[in-house]
Amino acid sequence: MISVATEPGTVATAAVPADDEVAGRGSGRWAAGTAPLALAILLGLLLGFAGGLLAPGLLRPGDGSPEAGFARDMSSHHAQAVEMSILAHEKTTDPDVRTLAADIALTQQAQIGIMQTWLKQWDLSPTGRQPRMAWMPDGAGTIKNGLMPGMATDAQRAELRAATGRDFDALFLQLMLDHHLGGIHMAEGVLELSDDEQVTELAKSMVAGQKKEIQLIQTLQGRIGTR
Amino acid sequence: MSISTSGGEQRRPSVVSTGKKAPAGGKPAEGEKGAGAKPAGTAAKSGSTAKSASTGKSGSTGKSGSGARVPAGRGGGSGGAGAGGKKPQQRRPVTPVKVSQGRSWGSIGLFVAVGVVAVAIIGYGAYAVVQNGKKWEDKAAAIDGIVNFRESDPSVVEPFPGKNSHEPGPQTYKVNPPVGSSHNNAWQNCMGDVYDAPIANEHAVHSLEHGAVWVTYKSDLPADQVEQLAGKVRGNEYMLMSPVQNLDRAISIQAWGYQLKLDSATDGRIDDFVEALRQNASMEPGAPCSGGITATGTTPRDNVPGDQQQPVPPAGG
Repeated sequence: MISVATEPGTVATAAVPADDEVAGRGSGRWAAGTAPLALAILLGLLLGFAGGLLAPGLLRPGDGSPEAGFARDMSSHHAQAVEMSILAHEKTTDPDVRTLAADIALTQQAQIGIMQTWLKQWDLSPTGRQPRMAWMPDGAGTIKNGLMPGMATDAQRAELRAATGRDFDALFLQLMLDHHLGGIHMAEGVLELSDDEQVTELAKSMVAGQKKEIQLIQTLQGRIGTR
Repeated sequence: MSISTSGGEQRRPSVVSTGKKAPAGGKPAEGEKGAGAKPAGTAAKSGSTAKSASTGKSGSTGKSGSGARVPAGRGGGSGGAGAGGKKPQQRRPVTPVKVSQGRSWGSIGLFVAVGVVAVAIIGYGAYAVVQNGKKWEDKAAAIDGIVNFRESDPSVVEPFPGKNSHEPGPQTYKVNPPVGSSHNNAWQNCMGDVYDAPIANEHAVHSLEHGAVWVTYKSDLPADQVEQLAGKVRGNEYMLMSPVQNLDRAISIQAWGYQLKLDSATDGRIDDFVEALRQNASMEPGAPCSGGITATGTTPRDNVPGDQQQPVPPAGG
């Protein structure tokens, strides 16, 4: 019994210093592990910081993206609608045409501001290196004499500036109808290509808004007898 | 006899079992010893319960049991201490140190390797983002031959001494074509308008202030080159184009404070200039190009609404 009791004791006493040694050298191992651990934490912090700094730049639409092409081209497309509508607001004698003109001019000028802000946020120039409409699969074919779909030619713009009275209203309504059809085509184009929420939301509102305005334009055309 | 044999049977398995299990390790041997001791005790008690005939035998079993225990204990103890006590003492201190040293160096190496790769990725990402987000001023400065009057001669851009930004009547500009300074209250329409005759500087400078790029050319520029320039302008708001009198080079393009003179419409720097400066050079971001003067003629028009102008005949379709 005694020998049995002492023998585990010797084993135990033999094991105790071994544990102490392991623990003692283990603290040395911890000390040796602090440097890589600190390095890992520092590296992790740097990675997280750099990632947060760079991720938006790497994830946002690039110079050749459909979003950038849409923002640039629709801005220019809108700008001509604003020009014609401001002219109509100034020249028309029809209150309904004047109201429609104010609606188009103010809405589309505000949308130009939204789209230009996108480009700034994406660190992109308002002017792209790609040709107009290159962001759409069938884009190149829609350009006529350097103009995007539905845009009035220089001759039509000059004609509109010269027109007066009922002729002016008739020409304005027809040019704006064509302009809206082209604009809807472009907005639907970016809806097929982009899943950027702010872009698709605005494009959807353009399609819906301009379709409603086309209905109004057709009603007005019926009233003044040009449809 | 039956008891002694049974006791002998009890002993033998304990000895045999310890002998078998002793090499396996110290702790099982210890357990064996305890287990071996208790049956011996119980055997002694059972011997005492059996009393009369079993005492000598029980004593013999006790002796033999103790005798069996000692070698078993020693054998198991020495074997157990040797296997479980001494060997761990030698192994434990030595091996963990080596392992810990190996691991720490390995992890440092790993962190360094990962760090280098991460820094390389970050570096490339930063490069791409910086290139993409290069300031328009830097893009403009990179164009060969461009003149930045905002830096080289601010007086070309600032209003004339004693004059306002908006001034009626003709102005005399320092450079031809002008790139800034006092100008007319009305701007030249710059909705991609292609004017086929000279326009008033006083209106065109106002267009530059709104962010337009003004493409000008010597009146004797070949028609195909004129049409090539017009193709860059037509349909693009914040662009306008007109011939200019007394131009010292074939082509000159202007933004507010910037000018680039060229000899050919095929020069790639035209696109560079437009990309860098169209709208970006604006002094009034968001200011319009529509609603401006659409007439040609070098005399500025004061207090004349745009719609009362003589319409410009369509230029080039």
